[in-house]
Amino acid sequence: MLPLKIPRQILDEMVAHARALDPYECCGLLAGKEGAVSRHYRITNTVAKDAQAVEVFDAANVKQLADLSEAQKAEVAYFMDPKEMLAAFKDMRERELDLTVIYHSHTHSPAYPSMTDIGLALYPDAAYLIISLEHKAAPDLRAYSIQGHQVTRIEFQAI
Amino acid sequence: MIKVRIPTPLRPLTKGQGEVEAKGANIEEMVDHLEGAHPGIKGRLCDEKGELRRFVNIYVNEEDIRFLKGKDTTLKDGDEVSIVPAIAGGN
Ligand SMILES: [Zn+2]
Repeated sequence: MLPLKIPRQILDEMVAHARALDPYECCGLLAGKEGAVSRHYRITNTVAKDAQAVEVFDAANVKQLADLSEAQKAEVAYFMDPKEMLAAFKDMRERELDLTVIYHSHTHSPAYPSMTDIGLALYPDAAYLIISLEHKAAPDLRAYSIQGHQVTRIEFQAI
Repeated sequence: MIKVRIPTPLRPLTKGQGEVEAKGANIEEMVDHLEGAHPGIKGRLCDEKGELRRFVNIYVNEEDIRFLKGKDTTLKDGDEVSIVPAIAGGN
C-alpha cells in the first residue's frame, strides 16, 4: 500500500464528525491520488434504518443486529448509505480521484478493527481508518490494511 | 451495449478496468455475459443459487435494482450499471 498522507484539516473534520455523532458510530470516505488524500465525504450511517444492513451483517455472520433497538445498532455498527456512496464514487470519477480511506468511529472501544470490521472488509485496496473516542478528550486515529482476514497497521502522515 | 462500472475490489477480474461493456436484456443476463468476458465475476456478485449477494448493490442509471425488479430488472442499450459493494462494520 502507498504511504498515506492526510491533510490536517480533514483529520480534524473526521474527529468533529465522530464527536458530533457520539455515542453513535460515524462513517465516511476519503479520496485522493497515490495515497495523498484531498477529499472528504461524510456518509450517513443508516445501520438502524436500512433493512439491508441487518441482512448484510447476518449473511457475513459477524454481528447479530436483529434484536437490537435502533439506537443500540448505531452504537455498535455502521452501514454506509448506499445512495450517498454512489454519489461519492461518481464525484471521485469526475475528479479522477481514487478511493483511499474508509473510516468509521468506535465510540466505546480502541482504534482496532473488530471481527465485524474484518469480516466485512470488502475493499482490500483502501486503508481502513478507525477513530476511537474511548478516551473522549484524546481521540485515537489508526489506519490499517485489511486484506483477506489479514490486518496490518499502516502509518499515515498528517500534511 | 450497456456500460458497467466495476468497483476497485473487482478490477483484478477486469484487467484493472473501471468500466466495461456488457450485453443482456436484464441484470441476470448481463451478469452471465460479464462472466463470459471476465471469468470469476459472477461468483463475486451471486451466491451458489444464483441470487445476488446481499452486500452487493447494483444500480441502473442510479436506481437501486432492489427497488426495481432485482435481477429481473430490464436493461436497454445505453444504460449505465454501477456495482457497489456495501461498506459496513462495527465496534
Ligand atoms: Zn469498527
